[in-house]
Amino acid sequence: MPEWNIPKRTIVVIGASAGGPRVLKTIFSGMPKLNASIVVVQHMPKFLNEPLRESLASLTSMRVQLAEDAHFLKPGHVYIAPSERHLALLGNRKLHLYDGEKVNYVCPSVDVTMASLTLEPGYLFIGVVLTGMGRDGADGIVHIKKELNGLTIAQDEKTSSIFGMPKEAIATGCVDYVLPPETIREQLIQWAGVLH
Amino acid sequence: MSKNQVLIVDDEETVRYVVKRILEEAGFVVSVAANGPECLEILRKGFKGLILMDIIMPGMDGWDTIQAMVDEGLCEGNIVCMLTGKPVPDVKMDHLKEYVLDYIRKPFDSDKLVQIVSEYLGYLDMPQ
Repeated sequence: MPEWNIPKRTIVVIGASAGGPRVLKTIFSGMPKLNASIVVVQHMPKFLNEPLRESLASLTSMRVQLAEDAHFLKPGHVYIAPSERHLALLGNRKLHLYDGEKVNYVCPSVDVTMASLTLEPGYLFIGVVLTGMGRDGADGIVHIKKELNGLTIAQDEKTSSIFGMPKEAIATGCVDYVLPPETIREQLIQWAGVLH
Repeated sequence: MSKNQVLIVDDEETVRYVVKRILEEAGFVVSVAANGPECLEILRKGFKGLILMDIIMPGMDGWDTIQAMVDEGLCEGNIVCMLTGKPVPDVKMDHLKEYVLDYIRKPFDSDKLVQIVSEYLGYLDMPQ
């Protein structure tokens, strides 16, 4: 198939820590089925994995599931990284969950997931860093911007419960837009498009 | 019934009183602890629910208390939100990020507080 006929694939990685569940609810509230695969890395205790999944699934037309090892990414799906394992994307296509040392004091780490993406023609990569303590996601945002020529967003200070992770991401100089949650949703819809 | 239970951990009596009153009027069952050790004692007796934790307290601060919860296996089934003024970076917080689900800033809007508490307690009512 000629390259110009290959459909564009979009992968979005959203990283969040303290305050993230409420912001994620706003972002996914009324979110149509995007022509994108969205991976959510939210720092949280394991017993909240399924409640968060259920909560987000009730708000969007996208299919929201907990990420499972060796499953392939599909457009229109949201994959939540389960607690206590890192999540990498092999060849930009396959979910890989693995045990590993904490990175930025956390497992799963936003940086690990973002850094696993690789440059590939026809792919659009989007990195989003939401509210949270520390600097997880900052290196990932640099990777997405500089290595993948992707698009990057950080949550604004006013709507962040704690403006740590977004501030660190912005400080790298690699964040394209600083936005509140409702506008992040609209921006993702605009960039990825809707599945029909 | 964890979906209705809130534990306020704060060394300031006024904060405990005001937050307790707001949440009780909204229908929540509220327990209070004036410090970390009191909080741990309540958790050891089987409390499950949402914990609103102050950070700066004499002796055992909020971070020390969460660390003790982790060490004693008291985190399971409990959601922790920090109820605090301007958060001050502390090296102790780095290792405890995954146990803190949110920050609620003082002074807070009471309707907003009730909304946040309801939202997080809703998670405990879902299959886990």
